[in-house]
Amino acid sequence: MFNPRDIIETLANNVKQTASPFGIPKFMVNKWYKDINLPKEGEYLLLTGLMYQFTPFIEKSTQYLEKYEGTKMAGLLKYAKYVPSYISGIGLAMMTSRKEKKNAGQALKNIASLLKKSKVDFAYRPDLDNYSGILLYDMGDQKGFVAHAKKVAKKLQDAGIKKIITVDPHTAYALKELFPKYTGISFEVKSYFELLDLESKDCGIEVTLHDPCFFGRYLELSDVPRKVLTNLGISVSKIRNQGEFTSCCGGPAESISPSLSNEIMEKRAKELKEPGKPIIAYCPICLGNLKKSGANVEDLSTLLVRHI
Amino acid sequence: MSSVNLDFAEELKEYSEDTALECFNCGTCAAICPLVHDNFPRRMIRYVQIGARDKILENSDELWRCLHCGLCTHTCPREADPGEIILGLKRFVVANFRRS
Repeated sequence: MFNPRDIIETLANNVKQTASPFGIPKFMVNKWYKDINLPKEGEYLLLTGLMYQFTPFIEKSTQYLEKYEGTKMAGLLKYAKYVPSYISGIGLAMMTSRKEKKNAGQALKNIASLLKKSKVDFAYRPDLDNYSGILLYDMGDQKGFVAHAKKVAKKLQDAGIKKIITVDPHTAYALKELFPKYTGISFEVKSYFELLDLESKDCGIEVTLHDPCFFGRYLELSDVPRKVLTNLGISVSKIRNQGEFTSCCGGPAESISPSLSNEIMEKRAKELKEPGKPIIAYCPICLGNLKKSGANVEDLSTLLVRHI
Repeated sequence: MSSVNLDFAEELKEYSEDTALECFNCGTCAAICPLVHDNFPRRMIRYVQIGARDKILENSDELWRCLHCGLCTHTCPREADPGEIILGLKRFVVANFRRS
């Protein structure tokens, strides 16, 4: 286990200096929209919160943390706060493979095409698409989170945004529950699958759905993707821990203790593999973590796009 | 030897809702927690109840093993919100190390 103080101060400095927990400037992270045509105006604003885009950098940094956890080198992390965030962030971005960075945006392209297919009137504005600061909240850096969230919320408010579509459970929770409470600014927030209206011929396949904690318990939305799948004729296997009683994938512990994260992930992967069906995740953190277990797992948007 | 700080509950109000006294130590939270580790989070909640401020600071690293998965809060029969108590303790510890 790493010293929580070292991890928290590194993340807090990165968010303060670059608005990203990894210190990577936004222009190097958010590229998924560049080769597709997305409307600039619409009833809803699609706000990715950059979580899908961060996944290759999370994977790369976790590889290093795994290597040094429990060694003397772990103590050196306390000096990370003295390195300017842009320098360490650009270094991490350069060490991350181009292919992984490109793949990370595919789920977002899928989501945009599912929304179009469902005739949802939405816009995408990269200038307004910012990280929510949720990791600082989870880590207990309340001051850092509130300061960052206020900037993000104010920018959205100044642009006249009222309705937002989110794509991951962490950003959804931040915008729906935490922003009104801690910034005083509220939006109507929907997760993308709540707006889907899709039909197809009966696919006749069965999948195992891994509900993320924030969709299953905190936001109580786990029945919605099941309805979307049922409309496409896709059935969902029953497993012991699902919906409001879903089990954690271990992802939230990966910065503090990769070994603990792996232990929790192995337990969850075993439960999910039991029915012997393809596993579907609908959170980028869960998706990345379950992939590490060697499970046959893909994002909900990838499955949906293939069957419409 | 550890000391008991009778004003600790008051100090914690800055960081989270004051729900620790709702807990009757049934242990449901520790049983359902995926960590299955040293009576977590039950032991920490007990420390809050008795004002064992130093014990919390001594063992503060274990607060960050919490996955914030919410199972403890979802199943607590007393609605003591153990998950939020742990999050409030993290905030307390962060504020404490930033002051030091």
